[in-house]
Amino acid sequence: MGIDKHDSVKSLFTAQSAKVNTNRGDAYYEKLYAQCRARLDELKALAPLNNRMDFKESIEEEGLDRRDFMKWASATTAMLMLPASFTPLVAEAAVLMNRVPVIWIELQDCAGNTEALIRSDGPKIDEIILDIISLEFNETLMAAAGHQAEKQLEDAVEHFKGKYLLFVEGSVPMGMDGYYGTIGANGETFIDHLTRLAKDAAAVVAVGSCATFGGIPAAAPNPTDAKGVMDVVKGKPIINIPACPANPSNMVGVILHYVLTGGIPELDSLLRPKFAFGYRIHDNCERRAHFDAGEFVEEWGDEGAKNNFCLYKVGCKGPMTFNNCSIVRYNEGVNWPVGVGRGCIGCSEPDFWDKYAYERPMANANIKAPTGGVEKSVDEFGLGLLTAAGVGIAIHAAASAVAGKKSEEN
Amino acid sequence: MKIEKLIEKIEGEASLDFSFEAGVVSDVRIRFGLYRGIEQILEKKAPRDALVITPRVCGICNHAHLMAAVKAIESGYRASGIDVTLSPKADAIREFTLACELIQNHVKWLYMTVIPHFESLTGKRSQENHALKASYISTTITKALAIFAGQWPHSSYAVPGGVTCDPTYVDVMQATALVEEAIRFFEQMMVGMPLEAYLGIDSVSQLHSIQGDVGRLMQRLGEAGMAEKGHSHDRFIVFGEGMGFVSGKATATTVSSVDVRYVEESNQEDSTAKAVSYKQKQFETGPLARAIIAKNPLIKSLHKRYKDSLLTRVFARTHEVGLLLHRAKEALVHLDVTQPSCMLESKLLSTDFEGVGTVEAARGSLIHRSVVKSGRIAHYDIIVPTQWNLSHGNASEKGVAVRAMIGSASIEEASFIFRSFDVCSVCTMQ
Repeated sequence: MGIDKHDSVKSLFTAQSAKVNTNRGDAYYEKLYAQCRARLDELKALAPLNNRMDFKESIEEEGLDRRDFMKWASATTAMLMLPASFTPLVAEAAVLMNRVPVIWIELQDCAGNTEALIRSDGPKIDEIILDIISLEFNETLMAAAGHQAEKQLEDAVEHFKGKYLLFVEGSVPMGMDGYYGTIGANGETFIDHLTRLAKDAAAVVAVGSCATFGGIPAAAPNPTDAKGVMDVVKGKPIINIPACPANPSNMVGVILHYVLTGGIPELDSLLRPKFAFGYRIHDNCERRAHFDAGEFVEEWGDEGAKNNFCLYKVGCKGPMTFNNCSIVRYNEGVNWPVGVGRGCIGCSEPDFWDKYAYERPMANANIKAPTGGVEKSVDEFGLGLLTAAGVGIAIHAAASAVAGKKSEEN
Repeated sequence: MKIEKLIEKIEGEASLDFSFEAGVVSDVRIRFGLYRGIEQILEKKAPRDALVITPRVCGICNHAHLMAAVKAIESGYRASGIDVTLSPKADAIREFTLACELIQNHVKWLYMTVIPHFESLTGKRSQENHALKASYISTTITKALAIFAGQWPHSSYAVPGGVTCDPTYVDVMQATALVEEAIRFFEQMMVGMPLEAYLGIDSVSQLHSIQGDVGRLMQRLGEAGMAEKGHSHDRFIVFGEGMGFVSGKATATTVSSVDVRYVEESNQEDSTAKAVSYKQKQFETGPLARAIIAKNPLIKSLHKRYKDSLLTRVFARTHEVGLLLHRAKEALVHLDVTQPSCMLESKLLSTDFEGVGTVEAARGSLIHRSVVKSGRIAHYDIIVPTQWNLSHGNASEKGVAVRAMIGSASIEEASFIFRSFDVCSVCTMQ
């Protein structure tokens, strides 16, 4: 392995954006705590929006006890990378989610993120989502239709000017003057619709890979010139929650963070919240031990597959994908793709559809590491050599060396 | 003649232009205003990329797209002489997960589309939170799905020759518990009787014994005259098989076989959705079609009395929930986890093939056609159920939903009939 390959592999595994500082010292957290306390007190003084249900009542109605709820709160506190002392604040913030208006619009999409959201996790968190979050507008979830729905949207925008979080699902088609996607009776283009609604939003949250990076519609040859929200909306705080579908825990996490602090969470260079995208699938993968041991699935249904070996050689993109699926999982934590032996397709990375698509094993594909740099084939990259025995361990050695350094720093 | 416009918020958006003559709807133009170009995107990509890309056509029936995509590849392999045989286990797991997707869709449609819409049509609003009921059962059943598929929506766990998962008995037990929870919901909330007793009902004369939300809805639909509304061509078509479904087409009382080669797609003026017909004729697809062709006694009996009315169509879909819950549970009972999950060498690739995958999605028959040349997709065709039901039709006959809406006294009523087809626009305008 030449120096160049060594370095590029090393840089892949030690990307700065991959670093998330989970211990910033007592002074930092004390200050943050006070800030959150003040924010929650301020919200508490406000009346709940839109006659939303009271959270405490609704959990009692469902027969859930407070213990279940606190369990969820402490898991969510950990997910947000806050110290355990913040748990009561997070619990309080969940109750206060009915004070923050959310408008959810769908552009060039498949409604998959809405579907994921309504089966979010937690102690009957669907109650929280549907009753507690002040979801002022969502096409798929609301019963209203036609002009009635449009009016509801206009009212919400007017009423909550400058205060609402605008959740956007789907990409923005820019081709043909935007006429690949229109909305409403007047045929407003998606780009005009988005620009208008973003103008009065407190922040824009792009949900799913289409809204963040263009997603499947932007796959080559990108027939409609689909773009992500951050490419077309300027002058607003933007939070990207990529993945296909985006993990509902991360959507709830962003709302909670906003309720809690009044601000947006710390973001990486691609505007993704670090609490969710601060580490790679590979870092916490349940099959990691097999990677380290050089035990791989060679093809579907083989002995390796039966023994839950590492999926790297059948194309898993976990080592280059930043997301918390390996911890949070999907569908109320029941499972995730790696759990069923399918491997990661890198769906939360830009251009995953062209660069990471599952059935192009990494060894043959031109890829660019999340860390940037020039697009190279994997052989040039050094990763292709993983197919040779023992190289997996070499990479691991590089990663461990860095991990060791990191823990010394702490 | 006057024309009125309505924007429907379904899964995505559709625009309906109603023409009125003599106070009733005389024609409807249905338009979709979104285009993503998924078929175009698939061209020049590796054949198996379809397994990752096509589920993302739709957030509601993504699993059906995965199944159609994998079947298209398998059929192409077979056509070029490669032996593709699935173990009974892999086959059963695929059918189980697809059944789960259909169940969650039907229940959400019932509680989030039909009941609220009917309540606003009749002006009798209940204080119940229907959306919560829908989310309860669909969350439960998609958890069962995710045990095998990893996640829902957008799983890609089916691969040529089988599935990637290798479940243990613990997984099967967990899934069974979740299915049983969904069955309890069906029994207590939806029909108010044990599933077994419910499945024993085989004639319209016993329909009144059904209680719960479905029983109440049926009664009110009857009172509102919905057994006399929403009639269309009374012609049905089914291409997919499995889960108790059989392929075929029905005109009047005759059921005959179908061949996917006679399916024709054509462009429609001012809409991004293509029309589809079978030998130039319009056919309805979906749960009602499936029940008629599989000769389900209760639906046959209901159909005999009320034909393809709105009431028959709505009931066929809720009835399918009961049938699928039963089959899903059975599939788990007979699952032999010791069988292989996947029986096709991944290196065994065919560089040129033409394959067709047909599957029964929640809304009806879904067809994927893949033409592969020199190892790349040369042409990919996705024909979705909503295209069958929502096309404008041709010179000789109106489209299925259009015909069902003609004669409605108001836009509100026509729009309710429209929704009884469980429309999905995101699929239609890929």
